[in-house]
Amino acid sequence: MTIPANLKYTKDHEWVRIDGDIATFGITDHAQEALGDIVFVELPDIDRELEAGEAYAVVESVKAVSDVYSPVAGAVVEVNEELEGEPEKVNTDAFGGGWIAKVKISGDATVELMTDDEYNTFLEE
Amino acid sequence: MPDVEIDLARTPLFDAHVALGGKMVPFAGFEMPVQYRLGALKEYTAVRNGEAGIFDITHMGQVRVSGNDALAYLQYLTTNDVSKLVDGQVQYSALLNESGTFIDDITTYKILDNEYYLCINAANRHKDVAHLQTQAASFDVSVVDESDDTTLLALQGAAAQAALQPLLDRDLESIGYYKFAQIKVNGVDGIVSRTGYTGEDGFEIYIPNAIAVDVWDDLLQNGAVPIGLAARDMLRTEMGYALYGHEISDAVTPVEAKLMWITKLDKGDFIGKVAVEARKSAGPRQRLIAIKLVGRGIPREHYPVSVDGALSGEITSGMHSPMAGGVALAYVKPEHAESGELSVEIRGKQVAAERSKLPFVRSNVRR
Repeated sequence: MTIPANLKYTKDHEWVRIDGDIATFGITDHAQEALGDIVFVELPDIDRELEAGEAYAVVESVKAVSDVYSPVAGAVVEVNEELEGEPEKVNTDAFGGGWIAKVKISGDATVELMTDDEYNTFLEE
Repeated sequence: MPDVEIDLARTPLFDAHVALGGKMVPFAGFEMPVQYRLGALKEYTAVRNGEAGIFDITHMGQVRVSGNDALAYLQYLTTNDVSKLVDGQVQYSALLNESGTFIDDITTYKILDNEYYLCINAANRHKDVAHLQTQAASFDVSVVDESDDTTLLALQGAAAQAALQPLLDRDLESIGYYKFAQIKVNGVDGIVSRTGYTGEDGFEIYIPNAIAVDVWDDLLQNGAVPIGLAARDMLRTEMGYALYGHEISDAVTPVEAKLMWITKLDKGDFIGKVAVEARKSAGPRQRLIAIKLVGRGIPREHYPVSVDGALSGEITSGMHSPMAGGVALAYVKPEHAESGELSVEIRGKQVAAERSKLPFVRSNVRR
């Protein structure tokens, strides 16, 4: 699986795509692979204010429950409701249809973000 | 805290698991596959939807009990009535402490009048064997732990019989549910029983380690799909089968665990009988119930269970069932076993639940 160049990555294996003041979040292909079959995603409430690094969603695989952390600060403006019926999209299309939430960015605070190359190196370490 | 190095054992099939993409995890002192390349959900589906799943359950222990007192000894050590067994029959049973709580749950195989074979849980093996050997001192029996020499495979699912038959020189049709035969598997002496832990028709196959890889490969060749621990746990939880360390432990008696059907108080004396009788007349301290989540979420082990808004107990096993949704087994206060509004606390929120019959999905074992 190639790591898309238009996204940024966190050490917790989340991705973020920034379009103007909107950031879209998901977990990386590496993350879904490590978790195994995803059977439930708990989405955040709309309008919830997130700090950078705050747990905003929960992804549950057959055996494990994992928090997902917000790479940037902002307010939730949209969630991927399709994941309520098809959580497996996180497995099959982690960087696309498996997106989890969109936030309206507030302020400059972010967790440490990596480029695709940096994330690739991070995975190899 | 520093990492503690634990020497994990490997079954003769370790390399085979790795070659199949098995994700190896520590389990009951062994390195076992939690899933293979297919993933837990597809493995589960293969077993439920008519294929044959093959499971390496060599971590489980086997003990041979033989001698003139074998029957009297097992009547005294186990909860079920061993005198009811005929040659070639398997019985679900348990070992209890004097306090009536579980040392382990087991299966007892009657080979002959003076010879029996016990299958015990991996995590309890050394404790069980010590108990069995200590108690053997007062009986004319020999108790031999054969676990290290024995590979145990489970082959489960509607296609199990077709996959296994070509390896045997005897018609499997003649082996009924909870029956077994001493039989040649690829020409080598083994034991095949029509038993399992999935709710599907299938077999458990005891063979010497030396032929483990050959038999495994042959069964794969015959279409069997390798199944890891994650799918195995899904399959057994859907049936509501107890698992030691979850529904049963040294903290509960058969009265709490709904296992009085394997505890025969009228068969004569056995270890734990007096305590179980006392518990039965005093009433259980808690009761095991089956739960289905009504709201969204996955009920998981240790999640608190409330009745009418007050904490009543906790989940012992829980999962997302592809067929039945969020399902769980839980201990609750005895007065809540049959009535009161149930809820499960998931990450601080109360999610509505209801009582369910067991099994959660239809059993296809061959009665």
